[in-house]
Amino acid sequence: MDQVQDGEAQLMYLTPEQERILGGEEGWVKAKALKVIVKVGEALGADKLIMIRHAHVSGISYTNIGEPGLKFLEELAENGAETTVYTTSNPTCIDLAGKSTLIDQGYLEQQLLVNKALEKMKIKPTYTCLPYMLRPPSPHEHLAWGESNAVAMANSFYGARTNREGGPIALLASITGYIYNAGLHRLEERRVKTLIKYEDKLDDITASLLGLWIGENIDEIPMIDLPTTPRIQDVKLLLASAAATGSHALIVIKDLTPRKTYIEDIDDKITISKRDLFRTYKDNIWKGGKYSLAYIGCPHLSATEFHSIIKLLEKKRDKLRGKIVLSIPPLVSSMFQRELEVLRDKNIIEVITGTCPVVAQFKYRPDIIVTNSGKAFFYLRKLHRLDVRLASLNNIIG
Amino acid sequence: MRVLRAIRIDKIIVDGYCKAEAVIIDHKISFFGEVNPRTGRTSENIYIGGKTLIFPGTRGSTVGTYIIYGLKYYGHAPACMIVQEAEPILIAGAILADIPLFIVKQEYEELVKHVKKKEQSIILHESSREVLIVE
Repeated sequence: MDQVQDGEAQLMYLTPEQERILGGEEGWVKAKALKVIVKVGEALGADKLIMIRHAHVSGISYTNIGEPGLKFLEELAENGAETTVYTTSNPTCIDLAGKSTLIDQGYLEQQLLVNKALEKMKIKPTYTCLPYMLRPPSPHEHLAWGESNAVAMANSFYGARTNREGGPIALLASITGYIYNAGLHRLEERRVKTLIKYEDKLDDITASLLGLWIGENIDEIPMIDLPTTPRIQDVKLLLASAAATGSHALIVIKDLTPRKTYIEDIDDKITISKRDLFRTYKDNIWKGGKYSLAYIGCPHLSATEFHSIIKLLEKKRDKLRGKIVLSIPPLVSSMFQRELEVLRDKNIIEVITGTCPVVAQFKYRPDIIVTNSGKAFFYLRKLHRLDVRLASLNNIIG
Repeated sequence: MRVLRAIRIDKIIVDGYCKAEAVIIDHKISFFGEVNPRTGRTSENIYIGGKTLIFPGTRGSTVGTYIIYGLKYYGHAPACMIVQEAEPILIAGAILADIPLFIVKQEYEELVKHVKKKEQSIILHESSREVLIVE
């Protein structure tokens, strides 16, 4: 690597405006924020900085970031850090509606301090993992997003450009308005190498299984060839699952991912069937019977999904074999106030708002959790060491 | 003080003076989950505060950046860090916490070998292009 042999960092081209910020003319907070972006960019071989249109800040759950994270955010906020672009926030570790029997509210006070610091920096109190629902990105648009499922949606479904940023970097990009031009920001890095042919019909559970399998088995950027155009809710589950078991940030879906937002350079073809997937994950699939908790809403349910699920639940309520938890963004909650009040009277259905069981603490340990989400399956097992089985929503509701 | 060996630095990420006893962690570190910022100890119970921390690089959750910042906050930050590879989690943490960070790529194995041979070895760096192993 000759550019590093003399011990100097590889230099990136900076505009006079960027130099001015680095020199502290807009305050030391912004200077330090930009310094981080530049240094990370140099380490990744970026040639320049690019302007972003939307930042999504993850890593805001107090359960995860603890006191150091809180102090870091408070220090930024107290020193006048502010977003310069539209910026959304990921779910917190508490149920913002405060009614959950599952999510522990022990860190309520601390989480509210985190939220206060974020809001002081003018970050929108969206508290959801669906930033694209609030502002759908355009093809080729540059973003700085944390939250792996959202990143995969941005690149694969919308054709926008973002790497998998960590929470702190997405925040610093939001403060400066810039991110480094490396990785998936460059068209030549969005190169599809593996074609995966899936010939069966895709539904929620097969989408999750296919995602888990891709994450575990495919390293390069894949393209999935499906027999019919998939529903957005299944794409969500597939991408979230692949981004959990692997580090995928872009999975091209043939005839769905906007053209010219990737380059085809396929040198490997794989065919996989529903039968293969069910065989591979046979021990993880729910075989029926009782469950103590069904978890739906990882990633969060959109307004449309939530609406259709509560309609379905109205009809099937008496058939439920265990408690069902639905996870939604605060925005969806505000749209369904009346329906939520009705649901609240029925103990068997619980709706949690602006939170995520993966980054929260539980009040109790459910014996068996069933979910249609491969991502929830992966993380609830790994982080909470719970017994989680996969099932389709139709099977769960009966 | 006798210089035993000079090791070439490939890249300076965060510059600074650092003279401290060396500690080697021989695997990639996930700061989140493997390092306790309140105690400055790793899951192998190695104390890293005030040390020259030598490790191949980082892995795992991006919350790691906050943990590095937390080490500084609780007074357990390493005096400096020398890695073979630096990825965004580590770079962001080092800059935000003002912990000198150097990349030694080509001679990393040499560095580890020499530091391991003499446990009391001390690493010194002074805005130069070399890590000096001294006794």
